[in-house]
Amino acid sequence: MWNKNPLEQTQRRITILFWIFLALLIVLSLRLWQLSVLERERYQLRSEQNRIRISPLSAPRGFIFDRNRQVLAEDLPNFTAVFVPGTVNLEEAISGLEQILGRTISTSPRERSSGEMVLVDNLTIEEVIRIEQAGEKLPGILIETFFARHYPLSEVTSHVVGYVGRVSAEELSQGKSADYSPDDFIGKNGVELFYEDILKGKKGYRRMEVNALGKVVSVLENVPPRFENSLVLTLDSEFQQFCYQLLEGKKGVILVGDPWTGEILVMVNRPAFDPNALSRGVTQEEWKEISLDPGFPLTNRAIQSLYPPGSLFKLLIAFSALEEGAVNEKSVFSCPGYLDYNDWRYWCWKRQGHGRVDLVSAIAQSCNVTFYNLGLAVGPDNIRNYAQQFYFGRPSGIDLPGEKNGFLPSPLWKRQNLGEFWFPGDTINLAIGQGYLLVTPFECWQMISLIATQGIKAKPHLLLKVLDAKGEEIWSFTPQIEDKIEAQPQTWNLIHQGMRQVVEQGTGYACRGLPVNGKTGTAQNPQGEDHSWFGGFFPREEPELAFLVLVEHGGDGSGEAAQLSRKIVEWWIKNRGGSE
Amino acid sequence: MDFKKPLVIAALVLSILGIFAVYSVDPFRGQGLVWSSFYGRQIIWCLVSWVWFLLIIRIDYQTLIKYGWWIYLLVIFSLIAVLIVGEVDETGSRRWIFSRSVQPSELAKIGFIIFLTRYLVQRVEEFDTWALFFKVAALGAIPTLLIFFQPDFGTAIFFVIISFLALVLSNFAVRRLLVILGMGVVASFISWFFLLDYQKERLLSFFAPQRDPLGSGYNVIQSLIAIGAGGLSGKGWLSGSQSQLQFLPARYTDFIFAAWCEQFGFLGGMALLVLFGVLIWSMFNIALECPNLEGKFLTSLLTWIFVFQIGINIGMNMGIMPVTGIPLPFISYGGSSLVVNLTAVGIIYNVAQSKGEEDWEPIL
Repeated sequence: MWNKNPLEQTQRRITILFWIFLALLIVLSLRLWQLSVLERERYQLRSEQNRIRISPLSAPRGFIFDRNRQVLAEDLPNFTAVFVPGTVNLEEAISGLEQILGRTISTSPRERSSGEMVLVDNLTIEEVIRIEQAGEKLPGILIETFFARHYPLSEVTSHVVGYVGRVSAEELSQGKSADYSPDDFIGKNGVELFYEDILKGKKGYRRMEVNALGKVVSVLENVPPRFENSLVLTLDSEFQQFCYQLLEGKKGVILVGDPWTGEILVMVNRPAFDPNALSRGVTQEEWKEISLDPGFPLTNRAIQSLYPPGSLFKLLIAFSALEEGAVNEKSVFSCPGYLDYNDWRYWCWKRQGHGRVDLVSAIAQSCNVTFYNLGLAVGPDNIRNYAQQFYFGRPSGIDLPGEKNGFLPSPLWKRQNLGEFWFPGDTINLAIGQGYLLVTPFECWQMISLIATQGIKAKPHLLLKVLDAKGEEIWSFTPQIEDKIEAQPQTWNLIHQGMRQVVEQGTGYACRGLPVNGKTGTAQNPQGEDHSWFGGFFPREEPELAFLVLVEHGGDGSGEAAQLSRKIVEWWIKNRGGSE
Repeated sequence: MDFKKPLVIAALVLSILGIFAVYSVDPFRGQGLVWSSFYGRQIIWCLVSWVWFLLIIRIDYQTLIKYGWWIYLLVIFSLIAVLIVGEVDETGSRRWIFSRSVQPSELAKIGFIIFLTRYLVQRVEEFDTWALFFKVAALGAIPTLLIFFQPDFGTAIFFVIISFLALVLSNFAVRRLLVILGMGVVASFISWFFLLDYQKERLLSFFAPQRDPLGSGYNVIQSLIAIGAGGLSGKGWLSGSQSQLQFLPARYTDFIFAAWCEQFGFLGGMALLVLFGVLIWSMFNIALECPNLEGKFLTSLLTWIFVFQIGINIGMNMGIMPVTGIPLPFISYGGSSLVVNLTAVGIIYNVAQSKGEEDWEPIL
């Protein structure tokens, strides 16, 4: 053991320890150099990310007005509690919020933008004040103002105006991700969907400096969202409301429009749905209830449901027969109450028969036997061609999403799809608008409208004007004639006469006394009582309106549908008469 | 050469910078100079502990060493007392007495060093013997275990290191020191199996804070961001989003170095390191200059109180040391650590006063 001089030995040890300390000091200095000089850009960026929060600001959607500037859709402020990730976790934030609000939060939080969760929507002003006062005790919670869509007429305009909802994952993946963040609203149906790009407005954003508790310390940049365009629709909301009430307790459709311009004044379906509830967001069970409702409240029956047109189709048969020369004003038919054809007896709806009838009274009485004969004379392929001229089975071009088209059967179709020959019985069925034939109410309205204008086809539409943010008109619809059905003047004349007789002497007696030309329809359907149709226009010369009423299970056309038509025309004369 | 001057000047400048550092992160500083603010209290503690320093330098260190055994018994007694009647803080450790105003383990550091000095200088003949090692180990193990079960792993490790350094100073051969180190490693592996689960958990999160990314891991990340964002010259006095916007946790205490560097950058951080360097350089020189063994032991071991705290604290601020509650001497907010630190400086000052005649070359 070398223990000669402990003092000297210890002195050496102390010196060594000093060098160890110096090495430590150098290591610390080098590390400091590495962090604050070599890697500083990386940390400066992270420091920015720490303190800067960019929050997208949803844009308010445009208004939707009716033609008289009644509000059909508007944005109302919606106060929302947003969770910003910081020092507290989500559960703590929620329980803190529940304590302040004094109620439990039942909805599950949804992500708004990266990491930010929306905890509660639709806070009352009192709740907002309470949360703001709680301040530091509620770290990570911010109050933000969003917008909620409101539809003052609710169900009345639900199918036309549609509704909005949060943008879905599919919509985001369909290339909309640039314009939308997951919490944004997007049109889901109706005009809201069709004119989404006009209505949506320009998003803004806010760059904020936040502290570690997620509280905003200062706003560095505020680019407010911009309200852009509003829409003026062709709808007449008062008229729409009136028609909606007419269908109280019924299932059906009312369509009213200007046949010359294609402007739709009324498009009512019942049952309807509450677009306010759907736009607020419904739970899965509520959604199930609505979408599985046997009354199909979500369906815009006017353009999405298919029905047999019944006797309404006789107008088209009459047109085809006149144009094909199978009948003229002098032709007379005899109706014993039935037609025997190929060992089969086809009954008229009036079993005792109509006796001797010409074309005008056949229309007026809706005599089946006459139209059996006309249908057989014209033939199924010709009927199909004429129906297509009247835009049956073709897209109407109306500015609504999800339009369906009717179905026009043909011998070729039957052979290819059912593997059967086309029997004369099929033609006979077709001639009275039954059998395989299916149409939408809107197609029937278009037929009525084309008859009213004697073949002039205006593009049907709902959008009348587009307004800018200040309410100035920046676009308006100019009626355009899309098409013209060429026919002999006498053809139109006779059909008009027949429709006049319907009202004055025939099945449309419910409208008697009004200057209306119309046609009833009774569509047999296997599910229950017949559907009741009535289509017409008025006044007789230079018609202002073409209308169509369908009441599901409303019995025959001379009943409910014609009675409602009378009220519609009377309302118009009383409230809008002479104005146009 | 007189090393008392650089010693006192470095300590004084550091404790004044400490007041500025605390002020820069004080959430109450907007209320003016009130005593309830952090920096207000720091000023008071600073004055109190410098007055205390003036008292300490008048106590002859030889007297302290004379009472070495008594001090040791006092240390053991207070550590037992704290386990029985101590108060628990937010970290779950039982380490306070007198309404959380005194941490006996802090004072125990100095007491233990005084005792070790007293014990070893009386056994110069036994230097570099296994017998002495086992005696030191046994005497050191008692306070270490008492602190370990508070639990306060940082301070417990400090006691182990100080005991080991005392052996280094006692001229143990390098080979023997390596054997002792090896025994230490084996012993810690064996003791692992005697620990309870929550103790293991605490140890693990002490050595591997990334196990808990939202806890201490989060703290280190925020600290690194603060230092990195400061850059070369910093964001300026009272600027810097990390410390001013409260992203940086424990910014008055554990992470005050990061808050300082965010404001004053690499240059500011280096200024602190240089000041600490001067302080410790003076201490080492005082130890070397001192003519007697007890003065050398006492000074060198007290010096390591500072080396240990500076290394661990700045290291953890820069993500190269585990996160522990060890403050940065003079800079971190806190009265008792200031008192303990100035006590140590005071004792060293006293050693420097009783200068010997011997001829020697100062280091550096």
